[in-house]
Amino acid sequence: MASTYLAGVGMVRFGKFDASVTFEKLAAGAANAALTDAGARRADIEALYVGHVFGGPVAGQRVAAELGLDGLPISNHENYCASGATALREAWMAIRAGLFDVVMVIGAEKMTDRIKGGVTPDASDLDAMQGYVMAVGHALSAQRYMFDHGATREQIAMVAVKNHAHSCHNPYAQYQREVSLQEVLAARLVADPLGVLDCSPISDGAAAVVVCSPRGLQRLGISSTQPEVRAIGLVSGTLRTGLYDLNEEDISRRAGEQAYAMAGIDPNDIDLVEMHDCFTIAEIVRMEGLGLIPRGEGARWTADGRTSIGGRLPVNPSGGLLSRGHPVGATGVAQVCELYWQLTERAGKRQVQGAKLALAYCKGGTVSGTDGASVTTVVVSR
Amino acid sequence: MQTSDTDQPSARKRPLRDGLLQFDPPRLIGSRCQGCGVVQYPARDFCPACRNDCQQTTVPLSDRGVVFSYTTVRQSPAGRTPYVLAYVDLQDDVRVMARLEDLEDIDGGARIGMAVKLRLQSIREDDGVSVIGYVFVPDLSKEH
Repeated sequence: MASTYLAGVGMVRFGKFDASVTFEKLAAGAANAALTDAGARRADIEALYVGHVFGGPVAGQRVAAELGLDGLPISNHENYCASGATALREAWMAIRAGLFDVVMVIGAEKMTDRIKGGVTPDASDLDAMQGYVMAVGHALSAQRYMFDHGATREQIAMVAVKNHAHSCHNPYAQYQREVSLQEVLAARLVADPLGVLDCSPISDGAAAVVVCSPRGLQRLGISSTQPEVRAIGLVSGTLRTGLYDLNEEDISRRAGEQAYAMAGIDPNDIDLVEMHDCFTIAEIVRMEGLGLIPRGEGARWTADGRTSIGGRLPVNPSGGLLSRGHPVGATGVAQVCELYWQLTERAGKRQVQGAKLALAYCKGGTVSGTDGASVTTVVVSR
Repeated sequence: MQTSDTDQPSARKRPLRDGLLQFDPPRLIGSRCQGCGVVQYPARDFCPACRNDCQQTTVPLSDRGVVFSYTTVRQSPAGRTPYVLAYVDLQDDVRVMARLEDLEDIDGGARIGMAVKLRLQSIREDDGVSVIGYVFVPDLSKEH
């Protein structure tokens, strides 16, 4: 089994762009940045993995045609918001299996011209038929979390304050200004108690990584110690019966354990987490589900600064989905870009000191009756 | 919005999805595992609880429950906001997601633990056929 390394990464700044900024342009921009960062030429790339949700059929191949990567083995991967990480997982498995030495992974999404009013499950989902939108699941989670653990609306809102503060130091973040607690609390309500600033934005963007075996690093002339992809966990949600604990996040526990075991790590050694904060409350319950924060303590940890840069366990030093933005297919790869910059001490003012072991978590989609559609857990170390 | 469609036996109607509910008496339909006894909604042909390939028997579910969590939706591509969505825990220990209606006269609106009861109602017309869905309304017999 060949070890897997990140040779280079690149992304475009996330944001809302007009029609002239196409899916293909975003993806190619990120890919070219990753090639440059890795010191790789087009001819070095042996395969392309593209994660996206709304790009349409064979989006990856349209992007390849813009990049001069046409003709290669190319596959498109979708697991809603975990699409980018799923694409990376496929690449990682291929490298481990010895199929390739140098591959490119791109996560990309153009949402502003096709998503209005919020993301939803497929119309055939039973919850969707009741009028469910993603914000509803998180609102129900937040109401219950406050009820069960005595957490306050203010503590939950602090996730947004923290992540917007972090993103001030991230040139690729969609938003790069602080927001105050008052702003978060006063924002227009989406699904009570969550307001607009509790929700990640609709975004366009792309991120890319060049992934190599040891032989691939050699071919690229890279002799420095590169961050290693130790494991990528993937689980689907399970059907929950009875009157289960809504915020238990069993899906997250399983995904974490799968990755920790495969990587052979103690989760207490993780130095930072890029977490899927599609909504403020989600960061809290998922960190607890992963076993990284004790159940019921996540809101308090956030308010106390323990998950801020400089705190005990920094979460979303990039600004997370809330502030970096959430072009759904791109997010999983953008998180890994951040892990790369953190582990190679290139994160500037958002650097987590002494970062050696990092985790990126994505949760994609919902299926009525289950505790989620897909979760990916990427462990990277240096 | 029609209220009880059992008042109109001659109206053409169909459930939102096959096998999801019955009209007389108006109930959601789940299935019970003959092995472990766990009831699920909607009905399926396997048991997610015990996974033992036991027979599943379809059963009408209780039409009474309590609100486990709820939210008022104010922004939605499904339109016509605001509306309230909730998880309702039925007396058979089955959790269902549905809209809550008729909250206007309840002081303080919805709350966790509120007693509710099932109401089937038409959610739209498809070529002259009423498509029947379900909501929950306050169970006033439980209010004190």
